Amino acid sequence: MNKRQNRFPAAAVPFLLWTVVFVAIPLIYILCMSFLKRAQTWGVVAEFSFDSYARMVTPTYLKVYAQSMWLAVLTTLFTLLIGYPFSYFVSRLSERRRSLVLLLVVVPFWTNSLVRIYGWMILLRSQGVINTLLIALGVIETPLKLLYNFGAVLVGMIYALLPFMILSTYSAIEKLDPSLVEAARDLGAGRWRAFWTVTVPMTRAGIMAGCVLVFIPSVGLFFISDLLGGAKTMLLGNLIKNELLTARDWPMGAALSVVMMAMTLLVIGIYQKCSGERGLEGIL
Amino acid sequence: MKQIKRIFTALLAACTLAAASGCNGDSASSSQIIGGADGPTSIVLTNDPRPAEGGEEKVLNIFTWATYFPDDILAEFTEQTGIKINYSNFSSNEEMLMKLEAGGEYDLVLASDYIIDIARGENLLAQLDQSKIPNFGNINPAFQGKFYDPENQYTVPYAAGIPLLIYNPDMVDFEVKGFEDLWNPAFADSIVVMDDARNVIGLTLKTLGKSLNETDPAVLDQAKEKLFSLKPNIRALDYDSPYNLMLSGETAIGYMFTSQIITALNENPNLKVVFPEEGLGFGIDSCFIPAQAPHPDNAHQFLDFILDGQRSAHITDQIYYISCNSAASEYLENQALVIPDEAIEGAEFMQDVGSATQTYNDIWAEFKLQ
Repeated sequence: MNKRQNRFPAAAVPFLLWTVVFVAIPLIYILCMSFLKRAQTWGVVAEFSFDSYARMVTPTYLKVYAQSMWLAVLTTLFTLLIGYPFSYFVSRLSERRRSLVLLLVVVPFWTNSLVRIYGWMILLRSQGVINTLLIALGVIETPLKLLYNFGAVLVGMIYALLPFMILSTYSAIEKLDPSLVEAARDLGAGRWRAFWTVTVPMTRAGIMAGCVLVFIPSVGLFFISDLLGGAKTMLLGNLIKNELLTARDWPMGAALSVVMMAMTLLVIGIYQKCSGERGLEGIL
Repeated sequence: MKQIKRIFTALLAACTLAAASGCNGDSASSSQIIGGADGPTSIVLTNDPRPAEGGEEKVLNIFTWATYFPDDILAEFTEQTGIKINYSNFSSNEEMLMKLEAGGEYDLVLASDYIIDIARGENLLAQLDQSKIPNFGNINPAFQGKFYDPENQYTVPYAAGIPLLIYNPDMVDFEVKGFEDLWNPAFADSIVVMDDARNVIGLTLKTLGKSLNETDPAVLDQAKEKLFSLKPNIRALDYDSPYNLMLSGETAIGYMFTSQIITALNENPNLKVVFPEEGLGFGIDSCFIPAQAPHPDNAHQFLDFILDGQRSAHITDQIYYISCNSAASEYLENQALVIPDEAIEGAEFMQDVGSATQTYNDIWAEFKLQ
């Protein structure tokens, strides 16, 4: 091994310092906190216990994880079903149109996501745009209850996270050499066969990256379920917020955060296994 | 080097995700500076950082919910005294206590009764010097001597609130009398209540003839069962703006805080307010000076300033809560909500229930998962 390469790079010092102070120490703090006990009125008691972790496997909490996971899986699935074909067609457009479409995908990010979700509420509520329009057209007589249900939450999630899926799948599809698909067609493969055996495997890294980028935030985007779902669903994000701020049970909040991080790591682990990438470069 | 690059990419990814998912809470807790920009006089005064006669810097750090102290009152204070106000806001009482305990330098905090009780137990409050608050006598004694400050040593009550029922008579064909009516099948999928474990489990306890502050697990279990049967009637849970659902016709009946009731009534005077026959919950938001306050004299001056009858009435007219100031009543303009004395008399304070908070929270989580 070359000795020069082993030398500690001085330029990395600020970065390492940043990592230790803002990442490592807080993580260790959360981990330690999760093994303490809630004090009667305020704060924590410095006493080692597994209480928080024991409470976490009760049916109520298991249902919260299941609900969060289910919503995250559905969101990922739908964004993929919408995002992948979208990226595919965008990649076929002329250079100028392509950059215009991609710009339009990114434009909503310039507005706060909370404001955009309020926009959805205006569309969906009983005296909202959709209901007023349908009644005016004579399609329905009484307003549909579009807001405050699981469907509305799902729509909001898909809307908020779709750009992540589009951008990651697009970057993979764009790199795909069209002559490979042509070669498959020349050799007798049908449209679908060429798509499934050439296009999809060649863009797998982008698909996986998009799934990770959608799945992980969708476990924690609690304000969407609060606003569009009328706060009637309890997701992992809501639960952590409640434990920390309402129940003032910091150890429980910390333990739940640890579990959430473990879930995230698991998803990234699956990503690395499936995509064959060792780091996370493919995501970026 | 490869290793570092990998860690860096991972971190970047994590930050992107955090930024994407974390846009909710933080916007509510930023600091802003109010006063000083309203007229030439105040600008001249605020640019003068020389200490007042007491040696105190002319600054007052206020910590409370956003907009709870009206802007014009703050500007008037700055104009009259030359004391610059730094207004920091929190979004929950718990956030306030966490920041105060972490050593936040605030001179005046306005928060809810139960959290003040906890803060008092943690020795975070400074005793008030009543000689510096000549208007102290304006406080309505009905709002004094409560559990969080039995000797009136630490707090000045600012506003009181009582959550009430409000319904739309166009959507209901019977008269609503109390909490029990919420369980009526006529309200299927058309109730909005605040997204708050203590208040909603509290109203359920009231229908069972129990206290809002019940800690007995058996009784809480009973309440839980009853609460679960309410789920089919719940259209939405909303803590911040439930009146929107009442005004847009999304819901027929709502349970919400006093200020929200008045907001709804102002927009639609046909809505009917109900003082539930089972009894009311009650809360007082009060001001206190933290033990570590850097400018306690300025804080005393401010308390005296807002206790002035006319000013206090002006505040009440803007914040839509119930006034705690006897001297203010003659100046009040907004009489939209007059709560009968006997209703207030029977009202019960919502207090900290210690470790039973966990039980309340678990019931709430289960209720949502129903």
